[in-house]
Amino acid sequence: MTGTTSVLGQRFVRRDGPEKVTGEARYTADLAFTGLLHAKFVYAGRAHARIVAIDTTEAARMPGVHAVLTQADAPLVRYGMFVKDRTLFAHEVVRFEAEIVAAVAADTPERAAAAAAAVRVEYEDLPAVLDVDAALSPAAPVLHPDWLDYRTQDGVLRAPNDCGHMTSVKGDVDAGFAEAELQLTETYCSDMAHAVPIEPHAVVAQWQGEKVTIWTTSQVPFPARAGVAETLQIPQSNVRIVVPHLGGGFGGKCDFHFEAHVALLARATRRPVRLVFSRREEFLATDKVRHAARIELTTGVKRDGTITARRARLLLDSGAYCGDALFATEIGLMMVAGPYRVPNLYAEVHTVYTNRTPAGSVRAPGGPQTCWAVEQHTDELARLVGLDPLEFRRRNLVRAGDTGQTGQRFVSSSAQRCLDRAAELAGWPGTDLAEGEALGVAVGWWFSLSVPSGAYLKLNPDGTGTIITGAQENGSGSVMGLALLAAEELGMRPEAFSILYQDTDAGPFDIGSAGSQTTFNNGRAVMEAAREVREKLLALAAERLEIHQRDLELVDGSVRVKGAPTRSIPLAEIAAGAQLIGSGSGTPPPLPEHDLTGCGGRLGYSAFAAPSFFCHIARVRVDRETGVVSVPEVVAVHEFGRVLNPLGAQGQVEGGVIQSVGMALLEGSQYDGGHQLNPGLLGYKLVTAPDAPTVTVDFLDDAVDQGGPHGAKAVGEPPVVGTPAAIGNAIAAATGTRVRALPMNAERVWTALHRPSAGAVTAGGEA
Amino acid sequence: MRYPLNVTVNGLRASADVEPHRSLLSVLREEIGLTGPKEGCDDSECGACMVLLDGEPVNACSYLALQTDGRAVTTVEGVAPADGLHPIQRELLAAGGVQCGFCTPGIVMSAKALLDRNPDCDEDDVRHALAGNLCRCTGYQKIIAAVLRAARQPEHGPADRP
Amino acid sequence: MSRYFAPGNAAEAAELLRTTPGARVVAGGTDLVVAARGGKHPLPEVLVALHRVPELARVRETEAGIILGALTTHTWVERSGLVRSRWSALADAAAMIGSPATRSTGTIGGNLMNASPAMDLGSPLLVLDATVELRRTGGTRALTVAELLAGPGRTTAAPDELLSSVRIPAPVPGTGSAYIRLEHRRAMEIAIVGAAAALRFDSRGEIVAARLALTAAAPVCLRVPAAEAGLLGRRLDAEALAAAGRAAVAAVRPISDVRASADYRRAMTAVVVARALTLAARRAAAGSSVPGPDHPPTATGSVQ
Ligand SMILES: Cc1cc2nc3c(=O)[nH]c(=O)nc-3n(C[C@H](O)[C@H](O)[C@H](O)COP(=O)(O)OP(=O)(O)OC[C@H]3O[C@@H](n4cnc5c(N)ncnc54)[C@H](O)[C@@H]3O)c2cc1C
Ligand code: FES
Ligand code: FES
Repeated sequence: MTGTTSVLGQRFVRRDGPEKVTGEARYTADLAFTGLLHAKFVYAGRAHARIVAIDTTEAARMPGVHAVLTQADAPLVRYGMFVKDRTLFAHEVVRFEAEIVAAVAADTPERAAAAAAAVRVEYEDLPAVLDVDAALSPAAPVLHPDWLDYRTQDGVLRAPNDCGHMTSVKGDVDAGFAEAELQLTETYCSDMAHAVPIEPHAVVAQWQGEKVTIWTTSQVPFPARAGVAETLQIPQSNVRIVVPHLGGGFGGKCDFHFEAHVALLARATRRPVRLVFSRREEFLATDKVRHAARIELTTGVKRDGTITARRARLLLDSGAYCGDALFATEIGLMMVAGPYRVPNLYAEVHTVYTNRTPAGSVRAPGGPQTCWAVEQHTDELARLVGLDPLEFRRRNLVRAGDTGQTGQRFVSSSAQRCLDRAAELAGWPGTDLAEGEALGVAVGWWFSLSVPSGAYLKLNPDGTGTIITGAQENGSGSVMGLALLAAEELGMRPEAFSILYQDTDAGPFDIGSAGSQTTFNNGRAVMEAAREVREKLLALAAERLEIHQRDLELVDGSVRVKGAPTRSIPLAEIAAGAQLIGSGSGTPPPLPEHDLTGCGGRLGYSAFAAPSFFCHIARVRVDRETGVVSVPEVVAVHEFGRVLNPLGAQGQVEGGVIQSVGMALLEGSQYDGGHQLNPGLLGYKLVTAPDAPTVTVDFLDDAVDQGGPHGAKAVGEPPVVGTPAAIGNAIAAATGTRVRALPMNAERVWTALHRPSAGAVTAGGEA
Repeated sequence: MRYPLNVTVNGLRASADVEPHRSLLSVLREEIGLTGPKEGCDDSECGACMVLLDGEPVNACSYLALQTDGRAVTTVEGVAPADGLHPIQRELLAAGGVQCGFCTPGIVMSAKALLDRNPDCDEDDVRHALAGNLCRCTGYQKIIAAVLRAARQPEHGPADRP
Repeated sequence: MSRYFAPGNAAEAAELLRTTPGARVVAGGTDLVVAARGGKHPLPEVLVALHRVPELARVRETEAGIILGALTTHTWVERSGLVRSRWSALADAAAMIGSPATRSTGTIGGNLMNASPAMDLGSPLLVLDATVELRRTGGTRALTVAELLAGPGRTTAAPDELLSSVRIPAPVPGTGSAYIRLEHRRAMEIAIVGAAAALRFDSRGEIVAARLALTAAAPVCLRVPAAEAGLLGRRLDAEALAAAGRAAVAAVRPISDVRASADYRRAMTAVVVARALTLAARRAAAGSSVPGPDHPPTATGSVQ
């Protein structure tokens, strides 16, 4: 190790902070361009219809209008990460209300909107399929009649109206149920929810010659570049994606979306064109929502609480297209057993087409809903056998040496320690509880996504450093935190590094801000790049100081002789006379060994690399008369391996917990026919500052280094997974009744309490 | 039809000819060139556009620009003294109250409105002062702590009093 | 082509309304401009901005009560110790509206004239026996709040009439009032249902004056005379609360929308009625007043 004191685990102020607090930070919609035109989309406005005719003549003649484009103006290319099932503009059929039918570019936003309104489209309505049951019924219209002709990623198993199904099979499930002394079947339903970054989508495209530069609010610049190249049929090298500051994403800005539409408009007009979404479009057209889900669970237990078998069926409402949904599909499947020993398992998951807004990988895709169902089911199992929820979990949680649902061996497991620590912090089972208050618990696990990544690092003549990375900063601070890793290698201060990022022409490939992978993968790349620079530094210094490299160390921005601190050379001096450049990619740790015998349709998330564990305990207060639930406190204990940037990690946990308090109690889209009823921030409610609970955060470590930089694991997604479940269990404890629909809003809680015969509230949103 | 607008923004006189329907936010961003205030919603719900009008917070996205004629507007760009940061800005940085930063300009303004009037505030006051500012990243906790710490500093006085 | 006027006095404003077809006033714009942004209604072609009319912002306190100019902001009301102690239900409502920005911009006149069934000032003003003054070129007239409110988004004011002020009589000593609304969050909410109550007791603890009004439970905020009558001459015990709740539920015509079903709203009407009556009674006993200086009722007055 270099230096005497480590910068890891210390508080540090993120490099992009000052410009953000002063308002100088530029986001995509803040950029100015000469000759800028404004884009507006024409949306279908109906759930399912055949396009009979599109007439753009009147719109194209309106003052200030430079272009009106439809699919006829774009290559007929079907794209999609897993299933190539969609086109840029609607081709013959529209399948959800905000399907893009045409796009306008005009000299003012008002004129663009007026022209968009003047595009005439004649439709013939088709029967709409609005929930997963309807979609899977044999009589259902097939929403993609040509589905068999679509190209897919290898291994995707499909059926009509099912764009991806998978199974997870372990042991002998029938034998397991035969062994059980008691069994319990339950169904849980969750509504569609949204990512809701505060910055809406924005894209600016500008061509010079053959090459287009696109400034965009993407979380995934490289996949966006590939998407533009694929759909416009141009080389990737002719597409440069730049992301200015990004105002949050939470998955809603993953995948490839609107960059190509804007690029097409810019090419047609030879002018820079800007698209900025309204909040309403953000809800309707972003087509990247958290899946509405139906989760059916049957579990067999012995009277002592040992789980013997589980059957599970998950139905995810994918909306009109598959998008990147199959992440959620497989991860949801990995969550059905929870971090428990389930020796015999049969689980299946279906990703179902409907005529709703397409779903995708919103922060921890498939996680919160499944954990919410599974952990409430766990509490019900505990009740069935008469055990305290904590004790029931202790008897079943995975331990080091156990094998998971696909046979992955756990080299360590902190599940139990997370539970114990959270119970201690929350004072389980709650001693100072007020009237109507109760605690609820949830445990869970998550993975670190192990994928290739890359970075360069150079030292500047003034002794500062620059990191050039393909990684994407979504706001979490993960890219800002890369400076810590570089500083640690080079004995410098993290503040001494500037970072060039979010420019596909500058940094090496990275999959982007998805799957909480930045520190885990790009961190390793930065360390490798820094080590190359370090070797060069030491070699040069050894020559100058006439001493063996092994006797040198890098401390406080200089190279010095160990044990003789006065014999040193400042880095600036070396860097001024030599090129100190490094590059790195780092080898991603392999997936743990596992066994997919009997499983079907699996796509690579069949084992969890560097798994992490957590336990959340929520204190809720239920107003029995109204069903209004408030959450005064959430305890969140996470094991993230080694926490490199504690302030950043706390921020991830606090923010994640509050997001999922919203998911638990407030956030859900309601539908009428094929239309969202609440596409705005008054109807779709986020948690505000006065509502936000106190979040008590604690981190545990993992004795085993599982391959991340300095033993770090993924931090971004796990914090949103457990809280809805903990709140659900707390509501049940406080009321003696269970709410089986998410969000567990006041009316649903009240209905469960006062109209129990109304039964399971139908979720999925028909108002 | 356009009407002349003369408004003091961050202590400087600004003027523009604007249509009646134009919002203060669009005039600040497009005519006056201040992109600190952001647009995050259509219904006055997010607070990313928050500015001070004669010292009181307003949602610039939904306030008619012409109604600010002859009055004083402060945006996030006008908060820091020439030689540094306003205590609210400093404490937000130190506490980790800034992640993506899109809500930050609005948060700074709502917090400033509170501290200018009531530096002796408690946690509940801060939470209610920020009720109209949605933050999706931080969970508010570090922001609230930062504002409380800023309140305890002697020099959180406004950089430019209208 | 859209036009804009910012008159300097009320007479001029009224004259503009009379002479300019399609002219509408804008006060804080928190309803009018926000609705236009959200795509609900486009902005009117002719806007008459009122913020430069000092006489509409004036507050006068007299023996008989208080007169709040139409431009009085929710922030002013919530910060006024006088309103808090005498007309507590109004202070409760003003303090729970939107955010600090909504309250410092939004006005009492705008709230009334926007006439949303979910408006928070309506029920408090009804139980406080408020009247409004409407002004047009050539004259003024006074209406009760009940007479003003005609339906969702509709009032009985003529297009050329300006709401100039709201007059609230001084309460008989010993009166306590309160406003309670049901909401999903603690801030930035619209009432699912709400209730305002004003009560006065005699020395034996029996009710001698009762007012009860409901929010978001019918096309307009409305008083519930049957419930009021039923309360007279009794103590506010559990049975009295239940009876008032039943009478209120019988009077409502709730709708089902994204916020709640009609069934839930109906059931919740009885709950907010009981809570508003209870809080009003407590204040009557304590000699009125909402505690604390700044944001009292969102935490204590709402049901959360
Ligand atoms: C985020 C947010 C939250 C809100 N929360 C609440 C809430 O909790 N409770 C609630 O009740 N309301 C709420 N509102 C609505 C609104 O803030 C209030 O109704 C406010 O009082 C309206 O006043 P204004 O001055 O802004 O009205 P404006 O928008 O200026 O006007 C509203 C209407 O009244 C007319 N008008 C205004 N003044 C006069 C006058 N003097 N004479 C004649 N006509 C006039 C206008 O022409 C227009 O039709 C909220 C609004 C927002 C944006
Ligand atoms: S943009 Fe003004 S409140 Fe959201
Ligand atoms: S920091 Fe991202 S919304 Fe607040």
